[in-house]
Amino acid sequence: MGIPSAPIVTKAFKDLAILNAAKRGMPHERICFTQHPVWGKTPDELRVYVDGQDPVNQKPFMKEVVDALTVPLSDEEKKSGIVSVSVGPPTFTDTADNLQDFYLNNGYTDFLPIILPTQEKVDAMLKGTSHHPDEVVGKMAAGAYPPWSYTVRHVAASAVMAGCRPEYLPILLAIASTGIASLFSSTNSFAFSMIVNGPIRDKLEFNYGIGALGPFAQANAAIGRAWTLMSKNLGNGGIPGDTYLGSLGNNLNYNNVVIAENEEASPWVPFHVQRGFKKEENVVSLFRGLGVVPGQVARGSSVNTSPMFDEQLSDLFSTFTGFFGALVIADPLVAVRLHEQGYDTKEKLIDWLYKNTTQTVKDYKSRNYAYLFEYPQALQGVEPFATWYKLPDDAVIPHFPRASSFNVVVTGGQTNAYPQAANMSYGVSVSIDKWM
Amino acid sequence: MNRRKLLSLLGMSPVLLTGDPARAGQAKRADSGADSGQAKITAVNPKGMPPAIQLIPMAPRLASLDGETVYLVDTGFHGSDMLLQQIEAWFKRNMPQVTTVFRRKAGPYAQDDPALWKEIKAQGNAVIMAVGH
Repeated sequence: MGIPSAPIVTKAFKDLAILNAAKRGMPHERICFTQHPVWGKTPDELRVYVDGQDPVNQKPFMKEVVDALTVPLSDEEKKSGIVSVSVGPPTFTDTADNLQDFYLNNGYTDFLPIILPTQEKVDAMLKGTSHHPDEVVGKMAAGAYPPWSYTVRHVAASAVMAGCRPEYLPILLAIASTGIASLFSSTNSFAFSMIVNGPIRDKLEFNYGIGALGPFAQANAAIGRAWTLMSKNLGNGGIPGDTYLGSLGNNLNYNNVVIAENEEASPWVPFHVQRGFKKEENVVSLFRGLGVVPGQVARGSSVNTSPMFDEQLSDLFSTFTGFFGALVIADPLVAVRLHEQGYDTKEKLIDWLYKNTTQTVKDYKSRNYAYLFEYPQALQGVEPFATWYKLPDDAVIPHFPRASSFNVVVTGGQTNAYPQAANMSYGVSVSIDKWM
Repeated sequence: MNRRKLLSLLGMSPVLLTGDPARAGQAKRADSGADSGQAKITAVNPKGMPPAIQLIPMAPRLASLDGETVYLVDTGFHGSDMLLQQIEAWFKRNMPQVTTVFRRKAGPYAQDDPALWKEIKAQGNAVIMAVGH
């Protein structure tokens, strides 16, 4: 812009602010820090912040601000040019024990033991795809940072580390091609999920029966774990305070929520077919959100004679943030029951859930995501938020902005009729076959 | 952690502090020197390829804020507006010769607002933006 600027950041994000400025080309940006948090403070409390010290630089806060705009630039601050950044040599040589420690201490792992990506194991992994090891697969960004790029070989290394078999590699390449990391630089502690569809589910022996979401099959376990390792290594995500900011973190990040759809027991068309793929195609679909809750906590979940799963699901979704989507994870027994109720397509169930999961405008306006993301859009005239913000507080509106916020997948072993519900939104579906 | 150490973690400081664009630091060495009797093996570096960094010269500073117009830009994070109101009040109390203009940046916090930047460039002399959370 060419105008002197003084960015103000709370002290909790000191490292993030400095590194972000550096990665964007201003390693000496004059960042002024204030106390944390500013949210929830009274005007009097904020005046104390303003009249007080910069808690990082230990100088009067407003002097820092004024100086940031008026003190002449140093030579370093005037620098231009290109700086290359190295991540070290292409290989490391040491004993196995030392390499385990080295990978762990340098943040390459999820802090669990890994399979060391020796040249031999990576070469064996690379036989899982016809693509050249040096082919650039995509770009992945750790939050708002400029994205990193990576090759098939990089993906194969993380696949080895996670315990994958070579035949799993095309799924990981498909995920990597989207550039979507499963560790996201936000204070929200996001969780991620993938749905796998197509014949590859059986070929790789995914579990979509009893314990479908649990640690009961190598494909589910290792592929999910590999996504997190890829997120750390391909895009440099998952560094607390720098590229990861989730205040509490999320246990689902260890291997994400891997869902192989039980297409055979489902009364509905598979998820990937809904997205325009052929049934015989192998597809992985990615989701992002806040987490998963069990259907047993829903109102009406103990009704034995006539369980109404549509109402149970709506009850669960009514506690979610509408900013993220609503993903129904239905055991086949639940899906069949819903089908018998008259929901002979997923779309009919979605339509009912969208229309019957509601909230008042007053409740809507009180929600964090509405204020942060939807109110600014309302000011720009984006619907339905613009209309919602004009309605009286007691008006009843949908809990989710649109029917497409909902998705349905069927998996599980039919030992009981329990659904689960994820506050997760759909991202993208990509072909696995392309990477074979 | 100070700025020098942080930039070192990023692999930048040798370059930025010396002006040598040839290399920018490396990860910690693998060989610890410990000899456990194990054979040495070679493993692949799993890290992707970071982009080069284009250094951006900072905008020239003002000689002083006297008589200047300072835009106070609210990113939209909770409490940013109230903090900036206190900064605005501080200027009125302590530097009344400064004109302040409050604006909430359009869109969610990560969305660009070129119209506002254009306005500031035309009518402002400096920017204070809050908060980066």
